[in-house]
Amino acid sequence: MAIAREAEPIGSLKEVREAGLDRDDLLEVYRKMLTTRGIEERGHILYRQGKIPGSFYTGRGNEASVGVATAMGPDDVGTPLHRDMGVHVARGVEPWRIFAQYMGRVDGPTKGRDGNVHMADSRLGLIAMVSHLPAMLPVAVGCALAFRIREEKRVAVGWFGEGASARGDTHEAMNFAGVRRLPVVFVCDNNQWAYSTPTHLEYATENLAGRAEAYGFEGVVVDGTDVLAVYREARRAIEKAREGGGPTLLECLTLRMEGHAVHDDAFYVPKEMFEEWARNDPIERFRAWLRENADLSDDEEGEIASGVKRLLADAMRRAEESPEPDPATLLDGVYASPEDLDTPHHK
Amino acid sequence: MATNTALDVVMPQMGVSVSEGTITKWLKSEGEPVAADEPLLEISTDKVDTEVPSPGDGVLQQILVAEGETVDVGTKLAVIAPEGAAPAAGLPSAEQPPPEKTPEPATARAAAESNAAAGGEAVTPTAETTEATPARTPTAETTEATPAPADAPTDGAADGKTFVSPVVARIASEHSVDVGQVSGTGRGGRVTKKDIMAYLEAGPQAPAKAPEAVPERAAGATAPPPPPAPAPTGAPPRPPSPEPAAAAGEQLEPMTAMRRGIAEHMRRSLDTSAHVTSAIEVDMSRVVGIREKLKKEYQSAYGVNPTYLAFIARTAVETLREYPWVNGEIRGETIVTRNFVNLGFAVELADGKGLIVPVLKNAETLNLLGMAKGVAQLAQRARDKKLLPDDVQGGTFTITNPGGYGTFHGTPVISQPQAGILGTYAVVKRPWVVQDELGADVIAIRSMMNLTLTYDHRLVDGALAGRFLRDLRKRLETWDESSY
Amino acid sequence: MAEMTYLQAISDALRGEMRRDKRVFVIGEDVGVYGGAFKVTLGFQEEFGAWRVIDAPLSETAIVGGCTGAAMMGMRPVAEMQFADFISCAWDQLVTVAAKQRYRAGTPVPITVRLPSGGGFSGGPFHSQNPESSFAHIPGLKCVCPATPEDAKGLLISAIEDPNPVLYFEHKHLYRRIKTEVPDERYTIPLGKARTHLEGNEITVVTWGAMVYTAEEAARELGDGSVEIIDLRTVLPWDKKAVLESVRKTSKALVLHEDTRTGGFGAEIAATIAEEAFEDLDAPVKRIAAPDAPVPFSPKLEKAFIPQVEDVLAGLRELTEY
Repeated sequence: MAIAREAEPIGSLKEVREAGLDRDDLLEVYRKMLTTRGIEERGHILYRQGKIPGSFYTGRGNEASVGVATAMGPDDVGTPLHRDMGVHVARGVEPWRIFAQYMGRVDGPTKGRDGNVHMADSRLGLIAMVSHLPAMLPVAVGCALAFRIREEKRVAVGWFGEGASARGDTHEAMNFAGVRRLPVVFVCDNNQWAYSTPTHLEYATENLAGRAEAYGFEGVVVDGTDVLAVYREARRAIEKAREGGGPTLLECLTLRMEGHAVHDDAFYVPKEMFEEWARNDPIERFRAWLRENADLSDDEEGEIASGVKRLLADAMRRAEESPEPDPATLLDGVYASPEDLDTPHHK
Repeated sequence: MATNTALDVVMPQMGVSVSEGTITKWLKSEGEPVAADEPLLEISTDKVDTEVPSPGDGVLQQILVAEGETVDVGTKLAVIAPEGAAPAAGLPSAEQPPPEKTPEPATARAAAESNAAAGGEAVTPTAETTEATPARTPTAETTEATPAPADAPTDGAADGKTFVSPVVARIASEHSVDVGQVSGTGRGGRVTKKDIMAYLEAGPQAPAKAPEAVPERAAGATAPPPPPAPAPTGAPPRPPSPEPAAAAGEQLEPMTAMRRGIAEHMRRSLDTSAHVTSAIEVDMSRVVGIREKLKKEYQSAYGVNPTYLAFIARTAVETLREYPWVNGEIRGETIVTRNFVNLGFAVELADGKGLIVPVLKNAETLNLLGMAKGVAQLAQRARDKKLLPDDVQGGTFTITNPGGYGTFHGTPVISQPQAGILGTYAVVKRPWVVQDELGADVIAIRSMMNLTLTYDHRLVDGALAGRFLRDLRKRLETWDESSY
Repeated sequence: MAEMTYLQAISDALRGEMRRDKRVFVIGEDVGVYGGAFKVTLGFQEEFGAWRVIDAPLSETAIVGGCTGAAMMGMRPVAEMQFADFISCAWDQLVTVAAKQRYRAGTPVPITVRLPSGGGFSGGPFHSQNPESSFAHIPGLKCVCPATPEDAKGLLISAIEDPNPVLYFEHKHLYRRIKTEVPDERYTIPLGKARTHLEGNEITVVTWGAMVYTAEEAARELGDGSVEIIDLRTVLPWDKKAVLESVRKTSKALVLHEDTRTGGFGAEIAATIAEEAFEDLDAPVKRIAAPDAPVPFSPKLEKAFIPQVEDVLAGLRELTEY
């Protein structure tokens, strides 16, 4: 069993085809990354205009999470976190609902009951995160348990950050998954800063992927700014799990390009770090790759960009029209009724 | 996004625990066009410094908070108006900047924001109601919570505890039973639920004593008052103000909010100011003539009547210029005077519902026509119930007309916190001594009107009031129609 | 009908549900090969296989979190905490994730967590607690505390059917001590409905779990038929209507639980009675509970800790004489 393996970057379009994506798929990935960034940039503006209550978190620098979502099958499920907006977008969550969620309106996936990225559309195989990270890992493992019991060829993907890895939930989830060889993939968004705490104060080893050995499975370190490499490794891990090969720990290395949240200007991050990683911007890297390896033309690029812009402008308008929740509904839904179990999942 | 209505720019909350922000720099000035999302200003909070983008396209119509100011999250900082909107010259400040303003505001506009008269509620300083006669005195007996009688139980328990539990109290009241009549087997001889139930079952000899008897017995009780217990006569918990019962021949109706407001203000005003009234008789013949002449012109050209009130208001405002204390106010130990007059005038509401006093702001800038129009508009709005809070606040002097029904004298109540109120009365034709062209005394028929000035003697002395009335009269009697 | 112990009734209910519905599975420490620390699942793994009777690693977080995820995917998991006391290790999963998922994300979490609770056999501080009040405070959870074998069976079946996370507190001191007739067939008992364990007219005792028997004994010693015992059966949501109805009849209330006094669930009941039945009270509402200390180990200390028949009797007498 390999200890932490370093994944290579993707070279040519041919390699990509072998990994399962054609040119149209690639353009779609690019579009989704642009959409993800566009949503978060617009969110910044909305927040400073006072339209978003509470706090606002982004995953700038982690747009390659689109790669993981692209590698998931339609019936797979995931528990993305606040740096993984790309996963929501790639799975098909409509941007207007995301804006509505940010603004606490009724048409957000949580109908105003929870804020920022604490949302998920269960019909798209997504499960809403909580603030106590990484409490969703045991839950992802539980989903995989269900698949295993029922012998379904489905996979659960659980996300966590390098900071969250310090908590027992990570260990307990991975241990259980390893012991039972459950079909789950653990994705670590290692963006090197947990709020103001750098990695060397979160863990004492060189990387986190190496911990996989302790749980009996493989760990892989990937360049988290290379969406194609992320895709390829995620695909490998997910298919392995699907075929009964057990879990994988995928550590995607990137840099959190903004503060922990909008109120944090990340003064503690050395300027050089920002400068260095800015050169590795995931979207920019992919765009350059597409131009060189997939003949992305100016026209195509322009069309994609303006398409995203239009999409988001429409989404904003639509979200603004969504009403505020009615206080009279405050106590609704604290408890589930038997009818609530009529979702496809629960049957 | 494009705006059709004005958009507010507010101080954003830069983080869950942040409660305020400071404006460090305005990037645009008033009147400058702005585009949606374009940075408008820079702010600093204790978490982060950032820019605030414009919420929409348009023109930065008005900046409400200056650089260097620190305000709470959510405070309105500026207004973005749609393209083509005129800069707001006369808009009052929505939010007050941190209070460093002097008691005497420099500009008329700022002053217009200073203290309201009586808190927003309609006030009527008419003569009629100065003597408040209570309609009826509520009967107290049925609502007073009297302590339960300290009746010694028949088995003579040692510590004489007389506590009545809630359930026993309720049962006793439901059946009009005097707990004192029931023998108690509970601790300390208290009457238990069992005891009172047994008592009720025991039959008809249970004396149905009238509840009113209880207070009398309480008066004779010797034991110390028991711990708080609802009275046997007491009903279930009552709202705080006991409702009086109507005696024979009486009808009861609750006071409206307006009436309550009037009652409160009247009382407070009399308790605050030292009310003194001086009266003067004014020969209004000249004004009557001018008024007749102007009527048609005013009606056809301007659609308003040149009312007596307009004439009197005009002259009063002129005269107040020379008697600023009559337009003044006592604040603590300071005397406040102004170079403007916000003139309140009483309007009677339909159906005798009460009076309201709309305020004509900056009346010193109005001529006779302006006064007539201003009064007419405000009066109409008052009758249509379309007055805004701003319309009834900020008055500095009031004119009221108790003489509408023919009375010739009165003593109105001052509208706090003003220092004076002018009362006008019926214009009546009287025989009057005048001088003919030779200087001899003759009797003529003159249109006479009384005026009263009720003033706060803490600030305005009789001599001052007298001189004010003298000058006011002079102006009315020598009205120069060419100069007004 | 058959005579069953409290423990056998629980097994019976669980086995029946697993036979009936493939989505039901059991997971906990030592529940498979060993049959469970208290042998509730003895024979289950042989019948249902290792993937429906799962020996989990020593990780309450993985157990409860795992159940949550599996429930979201359509299973009906039944977790066993080896002792109720260990639920604190899974507090986060229960309170942060399971309790709130329906409200904020529209996703029901139909899990059941079985919790062997209670003391009386020198279990010491970590094997004897009654933690129901902490969870009765969390909107989104339900808490069930059966006292009789018949209720134990019906309530467990209802708990498994319920689309919400249900904490099922089985009092281990009752496991083998109580044996009664229990119907053979499948039946449910609605959550949130109390049961009148004993009828009377003068004093209402509100209680649940093992204390039902303590109250019963005290009432019989009092001997005058005056005591009415209301067995809540469900602590969250509790049957306020039944309690208030009884209090209106008797006008005297005594709330009894084995959990410690301050902030124990009895406080909620007492406050509600005072608030909503004030005018029906002929005496102050009394509470009898364990004192505010960890559960002690030595039998002498534990006896002074857990409310005994004498304690309840004294309380009843006090109310009678008030």
